[in-house]
Amino acid sequence: MRRTFLGGVHMNEHKNTAKSPIETITPPEYVAIPMQQHIGAPCKPLVNIGDTVLIGQKIGDNPTALSCPIHSSISGTVERMEKRLTTNGSFVEYIVIKNDYKGAVSSELAPHTILLGDTSSEKIIQKVREAGVVGMGGASFPTYAKIQSAIGKASVIIINCAECEPYLTINHRLMLEHPEEIINGTKILMRAAKIKKAIIAIEDNKLDAAEKIADNITDHSLIDVEVFKTKYPQGDERQLIYALSGIELKQGQLPADVGFVIFNAESCAVIYNAFTTGMPLVSKLITVDGECMKSPKNLSVPIGISFKDIIDFCGGLTHNCDRIITGGPMMGVAQWDLNSVAIKATGAILALPALTETEPHCIRCGRCVRACQMHLLPALLAQYASINDFDMCKELNIMSCVECGCCTYICPGKVPIVQHIRNAKQELRARQALKK
Amino acid sequence: MTDVVIALCPALFWSIYVFGWRSLTLTILAVGSAVGFEYLFQYITKRTITAGDMSAVVTGMLIAFNMPVTAPLWLPVIGSAFAIIIVKQLFGGIGKNIVNPALAARVFLLSWSNIMMAFVQPMTSISPISVTVSSETIDVISTATPLATLKTGMLDQSLLLEKFYGFIPGCIGEISVLMLLLGFIYLLIRKVITPHITMSFILTLAGFTFLYGYLTGNASPFEYMLHHLLSGGLFLGAIFMATDYTTSPFSPSGKIIFGIGCGLLTALIRIFGGYPEGVSFAILIMNSFIWYLDKWTRPRVFGGNPEKAEKKG
Repeated sequence: MRRTFLGGVHMNEHKNTAKSPIETITPPEYVAIPMQQHIGAPCKPLVNIGDTVLIGQKIGDNPTALSCPIHSSISGTVERMEKRLTTNGSFVEYIVIKNDYKGAVSSELAPHTILLGDTSSEKIIQKVREAGVVGMGGASFPTYAKIQSAIGKASVIIINCAECEPYLTINHRLMLEHPEEIINGTKILMRAAKIKKAIIAIEDNKLDAAEKIADNITDHSLIDVEVFKTKYPQGDERQLIYALSGIELKQGQLPADVGFVIFNAESCAVIYNAFTTGMPLVSKLITVDGECMKSPKNLSVPIGISFKDIIDFCGGLTHNCDRIITGGPMMGVAQWDLNSVAIKATGAILALPALTETEPHCIRCGRCVRACQMHLLPALLAQYASINDFDMCKELNIMSCVECGCCTYICPGKVPIVQHIRNAKQELRARQALKK
Repeated sequence: MTDVVIALCPALFWSIYVFGWRSLTLTILAVGSAVGFEYLFQYITKRTITAGDMSAVVTGMLIAFNMPVTAPLWLPVIGSAFAIIIVKQLFGGIGKNIVNPALAARVFLLSWSNIMMAFVQPMTSISPISVTVSSETIDVISTATPLATLKTGMLDQSLLLEKFYGFIPGCIGEISVLMLLLGFIYLLIRKVITPHITMSFILTLAGFTFLYGYLTGNASPFEYMLHHLLSGGLFLGAIFMATDYTTSPFSPSGKIIFGIGCGLLTALIRIFGGYPEGVSFAILIMNSFIWYLDKWTRPRVFGGNPEKAEKKG
């Protein structure tokens, strides 16, 4: 029996790009780098218009608060700074850099020459911060802060390679092509967080990668591979912890409260590269796929490259494309502008066709109830939310919903359950804010 | 919904074999008028037409399955009109009805009790197209169902095996337990329903009737129990009506309580009530409890109840 959790859905995986090696995209003419790509305070620009910047040069930071520095991904000239609307509805400052195609790397970057065993935890955390590493699975919490919060509390590191969203194969490719980066990055994290045990979590649809990783591990008592049943959303940290240990995270609890700390596979690779070459986080691995993408690929792209450049590199869109989604199809965000850019949290760009419109109706079949990983009653939540009975929603624990979308995926009546729930949660949060 | 129609087909074929083509005529009339009334209602009230979604087909089939083969041809039309317009559409359409439309229609049709109780022996030849079946041409009224015989306390002469494969007087769709079980297995394999309601319903009735038979000093309580299980509409109700999504609870424990309630009420009505059959009433009564059952048997939220967690923190 493979490790797994209760609820969730088995879905059509669409892992079309699992055999596509990671390619490096041709450098774009412009990149637009947003000053906020992480949870925390936005960065303040460290460069002015007209400045020449080099690859890896720090162009934004905010030392006073929880934040994470941002580096230039190409060499060139800062052409302008502008505020742009982002998908979450807020304005963020962007630094637009014109490429000089010299590919010059900042001279400040240098490999870490001291042996890992002789490097203190504080030193590593400092280095991780300087490399601009954030959680690259989508939440983009600054990694250095996560390490700090785990010291003394967590006893096991989980490296999340579950990659449970459909279409996404980039972690799979990373594991196959650079297993040593993930493993060595994990060792650095273990040293930093003073933890003696790490588990690399992989779903059983990637057994080749699991073998590859296991072959590259020298000491299995320190780092080990755990294989999980392929089921969405196994990559959710609650369900990873539950499948591993049977512990259920309470609402508001962090993994560190129950002895775990979870990092993304790509974050490990970036940390490893920051130590061996000195290069901070300036490029992102993404899967470009979807029925309407002419030639799907796995790509390494510079941070700040526009979706248009990426899509052009992948042969463009077919005429029936209805929407572009960043991230997986389950929890990703639909974009309205192809000038949007790839940031540290971008894991995928998907071009999808339109859905056939049908009148939604609930027949109370209860599939959403069985699929709910949080064990809620999605059908009732959606009904109460749609008639604005938010008090009843609250009583039915709507705030425990993690918006994984399983209910909506499985619904035979095509009820937009998770959208109803999101609306209600937003309303309830707004009321809470008013009370304060 | 197509799966439910497929699952109902063995019972339909069997009744055509036992009661002749009139079974099919009645079923087609019920299905046709159910779909027709749904279309008409949605057309007149300018709603989205969903009459083609097979749900009305299932309702129509179940209405026909719940009447004797001697029923006049206008009876299924009236039944479908009541089920679709009053029970389903006036409550808001698919998924909004508070009781099972086909069952409500059956209980409504019981107001023509002489028609609804006019059972015939298997293999009686009846015209498939004549509007009414005259009691003068066929000896209909005299045949009591096995359940009615059971009510008087005597075990009737028909063999249990005959009841199992369905060679007894009864409603069109309810006579063959074997054919209904085939449908049940199909529904389970296709994962259309879970076994919770059906099993708890049948087992509760089995336990209660066995106990009753034992306590009242029946010579063979086990046989008495089997007669109860194999007679009447138990399997039709437990497999196809009690498991209706819209009128049954969400959670497994809720489903089991629902099934137990149905079983108990059926036994009480059959044994102590004035009417030989209690399945329909039992399910309709339990239908009205589902909101409470949903509330009482809410699954425990992952990580525990948030309010409690806050207090501890």
